[in-house]
Amino acid sequence: MTAHSPVHAKGVVPVPHVVNGVLVEGDALTYRSRDLGIEFATPSLDLNALAPPRGRPGPAFDLPLSDIVDFLEATGERMDADTNPHMRECVDRAALTNVLPRRVLENLVRDARLYLTRANLMRIVEANFDPALLDGWVPQVDPFGNTSAVRAFPPRLIHVLAGNSPLAAAASIAQGALVKAINLFKMPSNDPFTAVAILRTMADIDPSHPVLRSMSAVYWRGGDVAVEGKLYRPHYFDKIVAWGGGDAINNVIKYLGPGLQLVSFDPKTSISLIGREGFEHAVIDEVAERAARDVALFNQEACSASRFIFAEGSADAIDRFCAKLAERLGVDRDYGSAVAAPTPVELRDEIEVLRAVGESYRVWGRGDGKGLVVRSPEPLEFHPTNKTVNVVTVDTLDDAVAHANVATQTVGVYPPGRSAALRNALASAGAQRVVALGAAGEYCSGSPHDAMFPLHRFVHWMVDEAV
Amino acid sequence: MTTAVDRLLRLVDAEDRYAFSSAELLPLQIEAANERLAAHAQSIQLVRGRVEDTGIRGIGERADLVPLLFAHTAYKSYPEGWLASGKWEMLGRWLGSVSSMPVEGVNLDDVAGIDDWLARLAEVGHFVSCSSGTSGKVSMIPSLMSDRLLVKRNLVHSLAWATGLKPERQHRLFICNPSSNNFRYLDSWAGLDEAFGQEGHEFRFPSDPITVGGVRDMVALRNAIGSGDARPEDLAAYEALVAEREQMMAGAVDTIAETLAASRGEKLIVVGMFALIFDVAQKIRAMGLGRNDFHPDNAMMVSGGLKGADLPPDYREQIMDVFNIAPDRAFSMYGMQEVNTLFPRCTAGRYHVAPWVLLLPLDETGERLEGAPSGEVEGRAAFFDLSHEGRWGGVISSDKIAVDYGRCTCGHEGPTIADAIVRYSDLAGGDKISCSGTIDAYVRGAA
Repeated sequence: MTAHSPVHAKGVVPVPHVVNGVLVEGDALTYRSRDLGIEFATPSLDLNALAPPRGRPGPAFDLPLSDIVDFLEATGERMDADTNPHMRECVDRAALTNVLPRRVLENLVRDARLYLTRANLMRIVEANFDPALLDGWVPQVDPFGNTSAVRAFPPRLIHVLAGNSPLAAAASIAQGALVKAINLFKMPSNDPFTAVAILRTMADIDPSHPVLRSMSAVYWRGGDVAVEGKLYRPHYFDKIVAWGGGDAINNVIKYLGPGLQLVSFDPKTSISLIGREGFEHAVIDEVAERAARDVALFNQEACSASRFIFAEGSADAIDRFCAKLAERLGVDRDYGSAVAAPTPVELRDEIEVLRAVGESYRVWGRGDGKGLVVRSPEPLEFHPTNKTVNVVTVDTLDDAVAHANVATQTVGVYPPGRSAALRNALASAGAQRVVALGAAGEYCSGSPHDAMFPLHRFVHWMVDEAV
Repeated sequence: MTTAVDRLLRLVDAEDRYAFSSAELLPLQIEAANERLAAHAQSIQLVRGRVEDTGIRGIGERADLVPLLFAHTAYKSYPEGWLASGKWEMLGRWLGSVSSMPVEGVNLDDVAGIDDWLARLAEVGHFVSCSSGTSGKVSMIPSLMSDRLLVKRNLVHSLAWATGLKPERQHRLFICNPSSNNFRYLDSWAGLDEAFGQEGHEFRFPSDPITVGGVRDMVALRNAIGSGDARPEDLAAYEALVAEREQMMAGAVDTIAETLAASRGEKLIVVGMFALIFDVAQKIRAMGLGRNDFHPDNAMMVSGGLKGADLPPDYREQIMDVFNIAPDRAFSMYGMQEVNTLFPRCTAGRYHVAPWVLLLPLDETGERLEGAPSGEVEGRAAFFDLSHEGRWGGVISSDKIAVDYGRCTCGHEGPTIADAIVRYSDLAGGDKISCSGTIDAYVRGAA
């Protein structure tokens, strides 16, 4: 069925499911999404269907990797909101309430196309391990002459998806496909649309494709014991791949134990380090623009978006930089908007009172969504959001490293040449990724994410030592 | 010239306090709100910031006040690190940004901790009441002397109005709470004592005061134990403190029960928290005493203290039974620490909003007024207390209230708030995933 229901800002919005590749419609269950300001309805869940028994191999277990990549690439070619009605509908819905404007959401859908290319997908596999391990048993010999064969056997995965970007859903689906897994995608309440839209796109290409038949995308309220208590069991699934933190993780933790592991992509605070070279007259404008780009990534919703900028320089030069930064935060970008949602009121109050406190603190901007810069002698204690950034003055960038911790994901550095001297200390502190300032949103394909190689973590590494 | 504020505050101890409908009062309240805005936009940084952000420089109608209201977090908007490391000068500047009077001339030599700092502020006329600090950040609520006097006046006249008791110093007042350095509590108790209590018979809770500094030390110790930073001697000290406190409270229950029993021929006003008063009532019952032994003009002002207490469903009725307290003499008020004026519960069981407070029921998000100021409305409680001198009068709470703007069945004007008040949960409800977060998520037990 290809009819598309009209977009309602009010009223109950239908949220169909895909179960083992098949579209399931219905409105037996209704939910309220406070983030979206809507009520939505889904079909009831068939828990048996969502947990295929281990006695049966998954549909894609023996499909050659190359076939999988072809299928993903064909899906990628349809990632365009202009021509794909499923993606258009999910952008329409997301645009009503996502912090990102429609323009940016459409860009992200198009980025999904770039992700789903043979070159990119194979690079990802190769960075994780020898692709041959996915397609069969690869002989091994140890130094003592013992022989064995190893296979990256397809796992059974539950993905607890993030809702901040359509690209995240596409990447999770691609990764689940590459490892030939049986995949259950649990959608979040702030985006119960994208994963289904992508699977429906796959169904348009080939409704009986083994990769598609290995996938379900459904919604249930996170923490619902009636569902999770039954599904989150090692008899049905090997791993839970969870994005985000707080309740999302707490809801999962209680089910972990022997046989059921957590692969978590935790919440992050990314930062920037700017050396004194960055405040010189000749480059300060460019540096401010680069810094702004990293702060404004997804209007600062992304885990890689910078929230603290550690600045090694003279007070005057840093203040000049802050003024320019505040200005550059208020422009439209491919992945951000000139005017984001206003800074939350508690944050604005905490910043407002700093205006009265003296010269060690200074504020640029008004928290109206165009950007807010606070300069201080040590990091502020709140979590900057909605294009709010704390510029912290430091004597040297080595001092700045002391503020990195295990919650620090991306560290943007200027000048990029200084990353080599800082990266070991940053890694030791817990950080996971160093980039050139301005490039937090650009990725080298195949890089580890959050200090791990995800596909390597997903698969069920099996050995046959009887050969 | 009498200002609108003056004309409203005349009603604090007036007989006809609740004789005016909310519609009648509104023009005067708007005028008073403009007086407060004009003054506080100059003297309170946080208000000035709101005015600049919103462009609202005058109040034409209630809705204009909404974007100017503070969230309760305004009084916690200081960097916690300043308190933890005793940066009293910086904290003083922060306090100045939420107060109408500048923080100046405070003696900061060798400040020994938060209790000492609060005492030094009081020396220069800044009376800061802090929340207990048992959970999360300490709220610091500034007041001037005029605010403290209003708290007293309002409490005394509210109790007289609700219970019919006359402030003629004929009762024995039993404040069954440990003393404190929170001005709000101290003023309330002193006010009751000075108005209703027999001279020379002040009852002192048999324990050391519990101050915000004392509580913070306990909490810091407990946190250090949880995070593994505490040394074995610290552990021993903590356990000793806990045991001492438990013993103190148990001892207090006995002493209070004995003293109350000995005073049962007198008219009593019992003030305290439910859990402790219930235990006291049980002890008195165990002595073989009850309703017939206690005076028919007794009153009580008992509230809260339910967390963790194992009370039977009819705890309130049992207490009233032991102390012979008639329903009209079980005095109760609704309010919050950020708002100086508390609202008394009437004989029909509803809280009457004072005429010098603008009631502003908001939608769930706290961004818009909910409904028109007539009939029945449900929403998030927000207030503009026109009596506030030392700080801004506008606050948004986390309470969900049911309001009736009309005249109450008790015969007095509204608006009134129904007794069943619940808190909006802090979480948005819904399982939105957020990919950004702080190191707090990585500390087990921190969230």
